[in-house]
Amino acid sequence: MRRHLAVLLLSTALLATACGSDDAGGQSSGEGPDKVTVGVIPILDVAPIYLGVEKGFFDKRGMDVKLEQAEGGAAIVPAVVSGQYQFGFSNVVSLLLAHSQGLPVKMVSNGNNSTGVDGKDFASLMVKGDSPIKSPKDLEGKTVAANTLQNIVDTSVRASVRKDGGDPSKVKFVPLPFPEQPAALQSGRVDAVFVVEPFQQAVLADGGRPIASSYVDAAPNLTVATYFASKQLIGENPDLVKRFTDAMTESLSYADSHPDEAREIIGSYTKIAPEVIEKVTLPKWPAEVNRDSVQTLADLALDDGLLDKAADVDSLLP
Amino acid sequence: MSTARKAYLGVAGLLGFALLLELAPRVGLVPARYAPPTSEILRTLAEQLGEDRFWLAVADTLHTWLLGLAIAVALGVALGVFIGTVPVLRAATASTIEFLRPIPSVALIPLVVVLWGSTITSTLVLVVYASFWQVLVQVLHGVADIDPVAQDTARSYRLGRWQRVRYLVWPTALPYVATGVRLAATVALILTITGELVIGSPGLGREIATARSSGAVAVMYALIVVTGLFGVAANLATRAAERRALHWHPSMRAEAVPA
Repeated sequence: MRRHLAVLLLSTALLATACGSDDAGGQSSGEGPDKVTVGVIPILDVAPIYLGVEKGFFDKRGMDVKLEQAEGGAAIVPAVVSGQYQFGFSNVVSLLLAHSQGLPVKMVSNGNNSTGVDGKDFASLMVKGDSPIKSPKDLEGKTVAANTLQNIVDTSVRASVRKDGGDPSKVKFVPLPFPEQPAALQSGRVDAVFVVEPFQQAVLADGGRPIASSYVDAAPNLTVATYFASKQLIGENPDLVKRFTDAMTESLSYADSHPDEAREIIGSYTKIAPEVIEKVTLPKWPAEVNRDSVQTLADLALDDGLLDKAADVDSLLP
Repeated sequence: MSTARKAYLGVAGLLGFALLLELAPRVGLVPARYAPPTSEILRTLAEQLGEDRFWLAVADTLHTWLLGLAIAVALGVALGVFIGTVPVLRAATASTIEFLRPIPSVALIPLVVVLWGSTITSTLVLVVYASFWQVLVQVLHGVADIDPVAQDTARSYRLGRWQRVRYLVWPTALPYVATGVRLAATVALILTITGELVIGSPGLGREIATARSSGAVAVMYALIVVTGLFGVAANLATRAAERRALHWHPSMRAEAVPA
């Protein structure tokens, strides 16, 4: 009887070790490429880094890059600060907030921008097909779903309302993850949603219609997200950061000029259906961070009360 | 009731449930876009079976689950027998165990993410923490269940400490250990999937999260079905192991006698 249990235990342990091995992240010492772990979110926005890794833009600069998918950007900032990841991907407002709380983060490369084209962006403010809401100012007194409160989404939606002549403080935001928003809009639980691709396509398929491209309204050619590192890494290993930035620059330019390859790589790290990937609007991937747009977001965040005091944008920018 | 009849009824219940989930979206009770019918889920599942990525996720989940379970069972049995056979230790640890045991493993997620990031280690810590208590508490009960007469007899015959553990403590505790392992296997699976889903360590849970954030609803349900099958397999396997290890025990012999 004891043997049976011992055999059972031993076989589970053996099977477990046979099924895979623990992976240790971090950097290698001595010769060979530097091991670099980057925290990303499995969304369209990060297509350039996946494409860059595949094309060898990091290899040729002596970096062995591992892309770790985190659930939402909230987990990435602490992991970069603690040194789990060397680099991370995060939206600009999250970084402004982290920076204002004294976390030692600094942008090292652009992430992605809005298309800058009103009515044709990768994210939009949408209502039901038969909704009486015609434009953002009609949202006064209405409920809008945002994936996270006090972040880039509600800041941008308020910019749309303000631009349309409405009072943004009268709009009520409720937190709801992107995947749940199309169903919530359809069932009437919220009056409007702000969705990114591929959920923009889902709302369109349900007969919904866009009323504003809030990322376009917030600032011209808005930089939505960037790659960042901890100030500690930048101080200790400026050469590695420089090589990462160079590789990202090449990856961003490549993705921006090869949208078909970007669409193809999106299919490899997300589970978006192929027929949807063909239809989605891709973000723009300029190589440089749009510094003015970061300042604009910082100003909006201060006006809306996300920040207590004006952010020191220059020390956050690359 | 005969075993065959039981099995038939079990399958019939499952088919009925599948039929219900097939019909609900078809008659418009729930929107098919967000709750696809069973047939579509199964078709998507068949597609998944042909993808490398799916099998890698299955391997990762099995790895975390079984390794976590093995560590928890080994630790739980060793500490349980040790603490249980030393009355002073048992009294001294009782309140600490009762304090630590009810802490939900998921409450430790922020802690493990800061310490180990979104790695398998993070999820493994959660799995071991949650399933360890299931085993430990059962073993402690088992050790406490020793017949005092048998205990005195063992003492009269001057059995050594190790012999007492081997011939007295272990046979008494074994049924409890088996129950602990069965409970721990399910808890470990739940925590494995939760960890992958929330922390983002590799495995089926993370694939479910990715499917969700990709709006691939059918894929998401297909993967959920797979995790359910894992649970069924865990229960069948631990029950079979229990029957073999405890074939001599009255609780098992009663089952074999037709009522």
